[in-house]
Amino acid sequence: MKKQNLTKTLNPGVKFLINYAVPIIFTILVAIAIPLSGLSGEYLARELMTRLARNSFIILSLLIPVMAGMGMNFSIVLGAMAGEIGLIFITDWQIVGVPGILLAMLISTPLAILLGYFGGIVLNRAKGREMVTGFMLAFFMNGIYQLVVLYGMGNIIPISNSNILLPREYGIRNAIDLIGIRSALDKLIYLKVGGLLIPVVTLLVIAVLCMFIIWFKKTKLGQEIRSVGQDNDVARISGINVGKTRILSIIISTVLACYGQIVFLQNIGTMNTYNSHEQVGVFAIAALLVGGASVNKATIPNVFVGVILFHTMFIVSPRAGKTLIGQAQLGEYFRVFVSYGVIAFSLALYAWRKRVEKENERRKAMALKRVLLQSTNTAGGDKF
Amino acid sequence: MRKRIIIRITLIVVLIFIGIFLYTIGKEHKVLIDNRDISVGNITYSADTTYKVRVDNQEIGAIEKGERKVARVAGVSHKIVVEEIKDKVLTGEKYEKKFKLKTNESATVNIPAMINNANEWINKTN
Amino acid sequence: MREKIKNIIENVGLPRVIIFFFLVLLFILAPVVGIRLDTSINDVIIRFGMNGILVLSLVPMVKSGCGLNFGLQLGIIAGLLGAVTSIELEVKGFAGFFTAIGVAIFFAIVLGLLYGALLNKIKGDEMVVATYVGFSSVSFMCIMWLILPFKSPNMIWPYGGTGLRTTISNQGYWFHILTDFLQIKIGKHIAFPTGTIIFFVFLVFLVWIFFRTKTGTAIVAVGSNPEYAKSCGVNVDKMRIISVILSTVIAAIGIIVYEESFGFVQLYMAPLYMAFPAIAALLLGGASVGKASIKNVIIGVFLFQGILTMTPSVINNIIQSDMSESIRIVVSNGMIVYALTRTMRIRS
Repeated sequence: MKKQNLTKTLNPGVKFLINYAVPIIFTILVAIAIPLSGLSGEYLARELMTRLARNSFIILSLLIPVMAGMGMNFSIVLGAMAGEIGLIFITDWQIVGVPGILLAMLISTPLAILLGYFGGIVLNRAKGREMVTGFMLAFFMNGIYQLVVLYGMGNIIPISNSNILLPREYGIRNAIDLIGIRSALDKLIYLKVGGLLIPVVTLLVIAVLCMFIIWFKKTKLGQEIRSVGQDNDVARISGINVGKTRILSIIISTVLACYGQIVFLQNIGTMNTYNSHEQVGVFAIAALLVGGASVNKATIPNVFVGVILFHTMFIVSPRAGKTLIGQAQLGEYFRVFVSYGVIAFSLALYAWRKRVEKENERRKAMALKRVLLQSTNTAGGDKF
Repeated sequence: MRKRIIIRITLIVVLIFIGIFLYTIGKEHKVLIDNRDISVGNITYSADTTYKVRVDNQEIGAIEKGERKVARVAGVSHKIVVEEIKDKVLTGEKYEKKFKLKTNESATVNIPAMINNANEWINKTN
Repeated sequence: MREKIKNIIENVGLPRVIIFFFLVLLFILAPVVGIRLDTSINDVIIRFGMNGILVLSLVPMVKSGCGLNFGLQLGIIAGLLGAVTSIELEVKGFAGFFTAIGVAIFFAIVLGLLYGALLNKIKGDEMVVATYVGFSSVSFMCIMWLILPFKSPNMIWPYGGTGLRTTISNQGYWFHILTDFLQIKIGKHIAFPTGTIIFFVFLVFLVWIFFRTKTGTAIVAVGSNPEYAKSCGVNVDKMRIISVILSTVIAAIGIIVYEESFGFVQLYMAPLYMAFPAIAALLLGGASVGKASIKNVIIGVFLFQGILTMTPSVINNIIQSDMSESIRIVVSNGMIVYALTRTMRIRS
């Protein structure tokens, strides 16, 4: 009975609700939690501005793989790691300010391209399972990153600044003070609006990235990526090298993630050498999904709506948890639960919808076949 | 094909140059500023009073007799401005000097020597 | 000869061959760097018993076509609930152990049912969703551990706090209840955990028998060829749910056995990533996303725990540093990535 209901055209209202289930539920949750937390609108606005400037870049890097039909790119973590290695070096060489940031981006780009290439190849061999594979790949790379940074640096890789090394003389410390570049990008131009400090240059950089993405969609490569995302076989027939295009989309995503992580860390000012990149993938993807994106469709508005909703929840949960049940710790766990839960829910919803649509297509095809055969066969109707 | 390789190599060379450029203008140097007596040959310059110091656009603040402070600056060309303070008031005496630091250099500036325009007012080390 | 070797490597998979030889190398090096071989082997056997059942739990779901159970945490949660309930009820010894298992099985069936129903709605994309369902349930339970009304002073925060502690010791209750059972002590260095191994063999036997029953064979049919199974009148969805429940139940038992050997019940975020080592071990033993057998479990757990045990001790003595954690991450996750990328190859 249920399947037949879905064959009928859903009324547009219901369709909207299903397509945007995640952001809608989230908005409701957030609307409840804000008053519960007792935080002022001004505080929220300030925090949100910071987080918007900090996180948007890296979330934007997720858009291109979605265009290519590769789903949520969990391996942006590889890009983040490349960015961090760049930052380790410029901290070692004591390069400060905006030149420091630019230099970090410059030297980590080749590494990001390499990792993106590797990621692209692995993902190509796991067609249909890109998301799980990307996810496991991120963990795997984390192990390699640890081997390099915790054992190689100071040993095989020369590091001269002993401030960032562990007491045993090799291996980078757990937390590096990035005081040299802290807020370097943000500080360039600050605009004061009411009580808000707006980091103009950072927002400008994000705006440039958005324009780049919009322009990119119209280029030849962009069109190729989109057609690969639509249908691999049709793309191949039109002469597009599907494998190479997919790899390119991952490379671009990884490099953007690398820069995004650098932007992120310059705002925070401290780098947790081994932890900073762990949650990057999960939080970025959760935010994107909360913004209404799905596995096969993600747009720029999704990014910004997602950042605002997701991070508001982030800011508000601990306090709301305390008011609700008396323990702030609860709010923290609630945060984590919601991040993972949002992804689980979105992915499940998407997978379910995909199956239902496939089922619908199949039924339509069968119905069509039946009609065709009936109209050309006068006496054979009962054969069915 | 040939053209592509040439363009790529040029691009890489340009990027390397940009990298070196960024490295040079971004490298942080430690500049120690001493307000202490210093002997050069047979002449001794003595530190008599407090001075307010500024390096590039960083306010270092007041350095008292015998004190030493650190300034962290980035890049090649720098300017140090020293203003005399007597009895907690600026006297209006101002001294300015420019200096350049190579990539791996750090420097020690001696205020009494600087005020008296001695050549040894700055000491650069690697 | 060369052809034969090449064939073996291709079939078994290069990473597995590399890891096997790596393990052999470690065993050879051990006495050279001053590590007792007998203690090491004993350690490996103990860890084998600890982890074996968790890996075994993955088999039913692979056989039914649900893929690798990235949502293993659900079964673990059921087991944790069983463990804390049993401690709360102050039941000790074997009674405590079996109470824990009993309660755990109850929760496992409930969770397995829900989990299975969910998986049925998303056939083909189970693994990714399962991962995040697993993660969100662990975080959800974090909230639960804080607010559920447990009172036993051994388990809650001291000084009048509310909520369960992060790590709860099961000493005095059922710690080592299996490991010490019928323990065979040889000299000072070997204490063979007979009880744990017997229990493991017992469960393996049950699973083996199960897959020879009518339901069991139906499940295997569903996994290898769902269309054919459907045409034979098998209810595919029902079989999948049964396999999920079975996997969850075995996992619940598995974590309790793990805890009895380990000595602690670990709550909150501890189970978050527990699915991965188990999956890696299974894959190491020769399983793939669509195919797993008991043989894979035994070989896999032995190899994986072998590496986990030998690497820290041997490498530490050679390089004077502890790379074992990083190596473990590389090996276990690399194995999974490798297995995921081999899916597409058509086997002859």
